[in-house]
Amino acid sequence: MTATTPPMIKMAAVNKHFGSLHVLRDVDLEVDRGQVVVVLGPSGSGKSTLCRTINRLEPIDQGTIEVDGAPLPAEGRELARLRADVGMVFQQFNLFAHKTVIENVTLGPIKVRKLGRSQAHETAMTLLDRVGITDQADKYPAQLSGGQQQRAAIARALAMRPKVMLFDEPTSALDPEMINEVLDVMVALADEGMTMLVITHEMGFARRAAHRVVFMSDGEIVEDAAPQEFFTAPRSDRARDFLGKILTH
Amino acid sequence: MRWNPMLRVGAAVFAVGLVAAACGQQESLGGGGGQAPEYEVVQDPRFAPGTTMAELSEAGTIRIGTKFDQPLFGLRNLDGQMRGFDVEIAKIISGQLGIAPEDIEWVQSPSAQREDLIERGEVDMVVATYTINDERAQRVSFAGPYYQAGQILMVRSDNQEITGPDSLRGSGARVCTVTGSTPSENIRPFIEESQLVLFQQYSQCRDALGTDQVDVVTTDNVILLGYVANSEGQFKLVGDTFTEEPYGVGIPKGDVQFCLFINQALTEAAGTGAYQRAWEATAGTVAEETPELPELNSCR
Amino acid sequence: MQPVISFLGAVVGYFDPVIDNIGLFADAFLHTLEIVVYAAVGSLALGTVVAAFRVSPVSPLRWVGTSWVTVFRNCPLTVVLFFCAFGLPEIGINGAYFWFGVTGLVLYTSAFVSEAVRSGINSVSAGQAEAARAIGLTFRQSMGQVVFPQAFRTVVPPLGSVIIAMIKNSAIVGAFGVGNELFSVHATLVSARGLALIPVLLGVAAGYLIITLTGGALLGVLERKVAIAR
Repeated sequence: MTATTPPMIKMAAVNKHFGSLHVLRDVDLEVDRGQVVVVLGPSGSGKSTLCRTINRLEPIDQGTIEVDGAPLPAEGRELARLRADVGMVFQQFNLFAHKTVIENVTLGPIKVRKLGRSQAHETAMTLLDRVGITDQADKYPAQLSGGQQQRAAIARALAMRPKVMLFDEPTSALDPEMINEVLDVMVALADEGMTMLVITHEMGFARRAAHRVVFMSDGEIVEDAAPQEFFTAPRSDRARDFLGKILTH
Repeated sequence: MRWNPMLRVGAAVFAVGLVAAACGQQESLGGGGGQAPEYEVVQDPRFAPGTTMAELSEAGTIRIGTKFDQPLFGLRNLDGQMRGFDVEIAKIISGQLGIAPEDIEWVQSPSAQREDLIERGEVDMVVATYTINDERAQRVSFAGPYYQAGQILMVRSDNQEITGPDSLRGSGARVCTVTGSTPSENIRPFIEESQLVLFQQYSQCRDALGTDQVDVVTTDNVILLGYVANSEGQFKLVGDTFTEEPYGVGIPKGDVQFCLFINQALTEAAGTGAYQRAWEATAGTVAEETPELPELNSCR
Repeated sequence: MQPVISFLGAVVGYFDPVIDNIGLFADAFLHTLEIVVYAAVGSLALGTVVAAFRVSPVSPLRWVGTSWVTVFRNCPLTVVLFFCAFGLPEIGINGAYFWFGVTGLVLYTSAFVSEAVRSGINSVSAGQAEAARAIGLTFRQSMGQVVFPQAFRTVVPPLGSVIIAMIKNSAIVGAFGVGNELFSVHATLVSARGLALIPVLLGVAAGYLIITLTGGALLGVLERKVAIAR
């Protein structure tokens, strides 16, 4: 990586309010190419909002956000193009309920990337194979387990060949026995060198796959460190407090 | 409203007319221009005792039903003055009873209420663009007729193509009249179904004619004469009337003596020229010809 | 047997005004059918566009959509039709009263269609639209590919009510120069030709029932179909 390549994600002095609630306070964050960044923090700390501002599902009040060196465009065609390059995985999966799994995965490539139907289908099947649900291709989302749905949602995002993947608490809505099948897919993705920003409570994933851990509290980034360093020697009281709560059980 | 030059001039003339009227001149567009003519008021007429004429003459007053909103025939002005051909005919008849115009009590008589007003005795007679027909004759008696109205066509003044009902078919002209009206039935034989445009009121047809949405409005000449009078030259009537609507004087059912008396009064008025003056002062201000008094019915 | 036959004869005789003028009824029926088909297609299309405006991310469009619904939902249909039949010619737009009538019905009904569609859109969870946008679909694509197809299911029953109301409302256009529609038959036969009112109106009612009941049945089929397509 040379000095001239811009970071994949660059947020500078970003502020965001929900009414009187100040949910992002002067946030500065850079994610380099190929890096996996895990964002931790108590609920209500603003980590989900942070994630959603990067593809402008939430607009910001002040500051700048750049993806791959280009500032976020305003609502419109430009923005749609940018979003195609930024994959996103939601807590609630949000698979299109009226379409089968394969249709979910091919919709973007056909409508946005203008791929031919057969080519899109072929790529989609490869991706479904990668996430291990080829046999579910023709089912509707409601017929799948939560873990299968989330893997399908990851395949849907990957089908766009994104430059970066955003994961907004991808395992929080899953039953415990299904968490690992999703995390496995994410670890594999990280190993392949995908740039990832992951909001999660899964410490195991952070230890195994993350290059950096960012700790947020009350809308601020409080710590930004390597996982090993963060988990063994957190610098702030808030981080210590947080880790104490989730690791004691 | 599109203001073409003609309309502008027309509006200016109308405005001047309004000022003139405000200065005390007894003028009104709707009621016909000029000074109201005067008619003979017979002094001390003699009638056989017990007749309607004797009663009315004795009382020195009469209640007459007429329209209050029919330009040129029966129209009450803003100052309360009654104007129109029906009003003049009523004055002529009253004069023969020895009753002066100022002693007439005018009673508003919309079309649907005329028979009721007569049957309940709330009016002594009705002169209100009242077409004689068999159905009505079941409930009231008619003297007259004093005027032969009829259905006619109204077009924009620049229309040279439409000359009468026979020129309608094939011209593609859109013909407007009121839904469920006798005129709508009368016009059907002259046009294709697709040419017919139907509204709830004649004023809507008139507006549609003004905005080029229809080419012809058709109904009784009496109604259309009023629109022509108020159109400032925008509309004209074409062709002759093609139906017969004899206007009679409605009186209580079976009052033969009164009927004969009214017919006598009408005949005399035609002889003395009072009938003609009545027309010329009212509907005659916009109609080209002064009509003859039609042949009167026998009162039997 | 004899009394039954004479009773049936009397019933049939009662409907002579309808039977004798069945051609007029048939013409008027077809004309009304024509009006409501155009008005249904027009108001569904326009109402859907207005609904899309109302949920669009562009605030001027939202404003236009909201104003549209506010104006046309809160004005009496007669007033809207008046503006179409008499207002449009005043500003120099001339045309057949048939199309003015259809236009009035479309404008008025589109507001109600829009509200039904919007409630359908709101019934689709926000996450569906977010996911659609997140894979790079434009607003139009996410509406057309993801939101509307799902909204459609919840929207069919209320839209059915809107369209049936429109069919009944179409009886008013006869008063605005649209000749020979079903309702105006009573004016022609009763006022102008002096036939008995009640049998004629029963005939008119039957005509509307044929249209609305058929429409309702088609909607039922459609409802079952979209319920299965899941």
